[in-house]
Amino acid sequence: MEATNGAPQTKAGDWRSYERVLLPPVRDLHKIDVYEQHGGYEALREALTSDRWDPKSVTDEVKASGLRGRGGAGFPTGLKWSFMPPVDPDVPRFLCCNGDESEPGTFKDRQLMEYNPHLVFEGMLLACYAISAKAGYLYVRGEYADWISHMERELENAYAKGYVGENIMGSGFSCELIIHKGAGAYICGEESSLMESLEGKRAYPRIKPPFPAQRGIWGYPTTINNVETLACVPLILRRGGAWYAKIGAQRHPGPVLYGISGHVNRPGVYEYPTGMLISDLIYEVAGGMRGGKKLKAVVPGGSSTPILRADMIDGVTMDAETLRDAGSMMGTGGMLVMDEDTDIVSWLRRVTHFYHHESCGQCTPCREGAGWLENIVTRIDEGEGRLRDLDLLIDLCSQMEGRTVCALADAAAWPVRYTVTRFRDEFEARCRPSLVAAG
Amino acid sequence: MPKVTIDHQVYEFEGRPKALQFCLDHGIELPHFCYHPAMSIPANCRECLIEVGMPAIDRETRQPKLDKDGNPVIRFMPKLMTSCSQDLADGMVIRTHRTSEKVARAQQDTLEFLLINHPLDCPICDQAGHCPLQIQAYKYGPEGSRFEFRKVRKPKHIKLGPRVMLDGERCINCTRCVRFTDEISKSRQLTIIERGVRNYPITPPGVTFDDPYSMNVIDICPVGALTSIDFRFKARIWEMSSAPSITTTNAKGSNCHYWVKDNLVLRITARPNAAVNDYWLPDEDRLDYHRFNENRPDGPRIDGRPATWDEAYARAAEVLRSVPGEGILFLGSAHATVEDNYLLTKLAKALGADVPRYIPHVEPGHGDGWLRTDDRTPNAEGCRRLGIEPVDEAMIRAKMEAGEIKAVYALEDDPVAAGLFSAEALANVPVILHPYHTTNETLPVTDVALPAAMVVETVGTYVNCDGHAQRVRPAKAIRDVNRTLVLEMDKGRPDKHGTPFDRWHHEDHQVNCRPSWVSLPAVAQKAGHPMPYKGPKYIMAELARTDPAFSGATYEAMGLSGVRLESVGEAV
Ligand SMILES: Cc1cc2nc3c(=O)[nH]c(=O)nc-3n(C[C@H](O)[C@H](O)[C@H](O)COP(=O)(O)O)c2cc1C
Ligand code: SF4
Ligand code: SF4
Ligand code: FES
Repeated sequence: MEATNGAPQTKAGDWRSYERVLLPPVRDLHKIDVYEQHGGYEALREALTSDRWDPKSVTDEVKASGLRGRGGAGFPTGLKWSFMPPVDPDVPRFLCCNGDESEPGTFKDRQLMEYNPHLVFEGMLLACYAISAKAGYLYVRGEYADWISHMERELENAYAKGYVGENIMGSGFSCELIIHKGAGAYICGEESSLMESLEGKRAYPRIKPPFPAQRGIWGYPTTINNVETLACVPLILRRGGAWYAKIGAQRHPGPVLYGISGHVNRPGVYEYPTGMLISDLIYEVAGGMRGGKKLKAVVPGGSSTPILRADMIDGVTMDAETLRDAGSMMGTGGMLVMDEDTDIVSWLRRVTHFYHHESCGQCTPCREGAGWLENIVTRIDEGEGRLRDLDLLIDLCSQMEGRTVCALADAAAWPVRYTVTRFRDEFEARCRPSLVAAG
Repeated sequence: MPKVTIDHQVYEFEGRPKALQFCLDHGIELPHFCYHPAMSIPANCRECLIEVGMPAIDRETRQPKLDKDGNPVIRFMPKLMTSCSQDLADGMVIRTHRTSEKVARAQQDTLEFLLINHPLDCPICDQAGHCPLQIQAYKYGPEGSRFEFRKVRKPKHIKLGPRVMLDGERCINCTRCVRFTDEISKSRQLTIIERGVRNYPITPPGVTFDDPYSMNVIDICPVGALTSIDFRFKARIWEMSSAPSITTTNAKGSNCHYWVKDNLVLRITARPNAAVNDYWLPDEDRLDYHRFNENRPDGPRIDGRPATWDEAYARAAEVLRSVPGEGILFLGSAHATVEDNYLLTKLAKALGADVPRYIPHVEPGHGDGWLRTDDRTPNAEGCRRLGIEPVDEAMIRAKMEAGEIKAVYALEDDPVAAGLFSAEALANVPVILHPYHTTNETLPVTDVALPAAMVVETVGTYVNCDGHAQRVRPAKAIRDVNRTLVLEMDKGRPDKHGTPFDRWHHEDHQVNCRPSWVSLPAVAQKAGHPMPYKGPKYIMAELARTDPAFSGATYEAMGLSGVRLESVGEAV
């Protein structure tokens, strides 16, 4: 084995023998018959028809599993469900499944939509049951046009078989699922903005409170979860929360779809437990660095999560607590790997361009700050930077972070703050030499 | 009562006020842009940030934790909160920029951001001088700028509709204008397009911003992004003076400011009054100023020939004395003030004539249930309360034909244009008229014309369709020197009068007219029926004292926001 920059032992246990559950190696699993043959919709049947389950016990089982959201923030899913207010027959309630997937470096939900769409539907139905919602929206990134029609087709099949719609499997529980084509902006993935978009409005995030459980879609109680989060739910019901809780890192358990991209030999989406060593993911799972180059940096969970230098990943595993201690975040598990030839300033320039382009423009610090950050990083990248620009960048990050309606401003500031501080020498070297002395 | 501590001072509060509004109500100024008290709270400008803390609660005892001095331990939220959206709670502790460096810095930071892409073309911007961005940037903003790049280019000179012009670059995306059309006027004619720093408000494809209330967005836009196509570039704000008054296009009496430069009214803006028009004004009210400046008379006339005021008064008195009292038709006016109509009724009574009548100007379908009414006059309710009823046209015309009308005395109206009489019908009776304009169609058959001051030149009272009595104040000067008018328009202030800052000295624009409360007593005096009033204020004081229909409506009580009168009799 090559140098791994990390200890070989992982919290994920013996990950080499891990058997995939979200994306099991089953041919044509997206077809409803195949899905049924492999235990599909059994968890739903159980939950809806057996005395063992009621909405509360389903929620409790999800709580027991320790499942945490896969949309980026890692919020405990069962706890989120329990925020829904008591059922009032006159007040509609909604589930929303977030398939907007737009964070650079993130492409794992698409895999589920393509290869295991019924698992997503089943998860949505179970969540609807648990929160007593009669309708669930699946909001899919608009650019995923092919996957939308693919899922529409499969949803029709699920309707035809009576898994969705009126009186599901004779249980008396009725639930509609609606696939909604997204409006083509990164911000539509932010939960409150997604709801505005779903309502046909401009996707401006809402101020919180009120939270979605209090006032969500059309102003009614709503729970919103990521596609991968909900796909875990049928598995939890089928095999038990205790089974799930034992997979991977104790405080952040379960299977994760790691989307590995960048300078590795085999980029792709890989299903493994949480708590995998970053080095294992790079050198074992993704086949090592392309061309045998040295690792320079890793962005562990989508472009907004703080970048880690190669020397910072020793023993670091992919779970919220460990990554926090290491100075980053789990995010979406979309890992960007960069080799020694990477121009980190150019990389940051591209990232700042993205957030500048995607700021919805509602709040001042994000709207103005994101563009200014790009301006400065671009100038540095083009060799026209001043040394004082580096301090200005950090200052602007402080002026943006935590001062806006949604977290996009933070997502725009973090890459700048951490790339500049962790690769400061490269930025300094790029600033115009003649002006270095003057500052 | 629940308490909140703001910058070390304790305040009691009721209900669930928001921190920003509560501070503003208690004289604590917090910078802000997007918040508007009449609309939803998007908290998007991020200028109004404050520190918010709550007493820490002991998990076990469920009691507030106390420090060693026995004071509650306050736990501050890690993030700054937007005061506009922050509900007050009992025990809450708030720090504003006055006590928190962190808050002051955050306000400064947001202003720095707001200014980086703002054109800073204040020298040519209509908003300069009363621009919330300009003012707050000076007060709370940074010195200079650290921004060294090209500003964002956005569309400029966009006609959103017939009356409102957009400069996209000046827009700070507060969404007030969009929220206005969504929530207040409900025309939904504006939306924000583009994303991020390229955002600006615009009409949807194929839509024109012709909302009858469109110009309100000019008032509420916190920068000069939305300007009045009518008013653009006509005057700088510091070259004008404004007078708080009401508009008179209809019976609502919406509160406004009349803006004057060179003694011409150039602009009308909304003045908040929760009892009448909130913060709003219909576009037609705003554009209703040309009539104050144009076609105005140049003094009294007798038989169409210029005369002095004294000659005209004498001639009018002669006419009145020359016919039997019961033969004189007195026409009051729903355009004229309560005071003027009241004096007319007194004169009619003194001469033994019937109670005056007024000519209604009703345009069915014009009203919208909001700030526009079918009635196109401002004081029909005031007339009704004085006992002046609408004319019975058929009856009056029959009397005229029968030769029973021997003279007509008409206040501030145009009986011929209104279709009450033809010019021929009036040709044979003497007519005394208080006209506003030289275009008055009754003038050619008028024997004595006593030009009247208009709403922007006089002092008086109007009663709106809901029985709200409101004062008007002079915004521009008339040719005459009248002590009451001079005092009411603050002209006595030496720093304003007779200096380059004087907005009224332009003699060509001073109309040679007089308030009817000057002319009527003068005529009455010469006709042998003196009216001992020192001015309109005393007339209203008498009415407020003696007539239940005007009970309480003294000038002092009406102040700037008016007095709601008791309802009397059946509604018109
Ligand atoms: C700017 C922004 C973009 C986001 N985009 C996505 C997204 O594309 N997909 C997603 O699942 N969550 C996204 N999120 C997170 C959601 O707001 C929300 O937290 C998540 O969908 C909750 O699901 P979970 O609890 O299952 O993780 C985004 C958040 C922000 C601030
Ligand atoms: S932080 Fe940025 S993306 Fe989020 S609401 Fe504000 S402007 Fe929009
Ligand atoms: S045009 Fe004015 S009111 Fe409208 S969003 Fe821009 S700054 Fe706000
Ligand atoms: S006033 Fe704009 S955020 Fe509060």
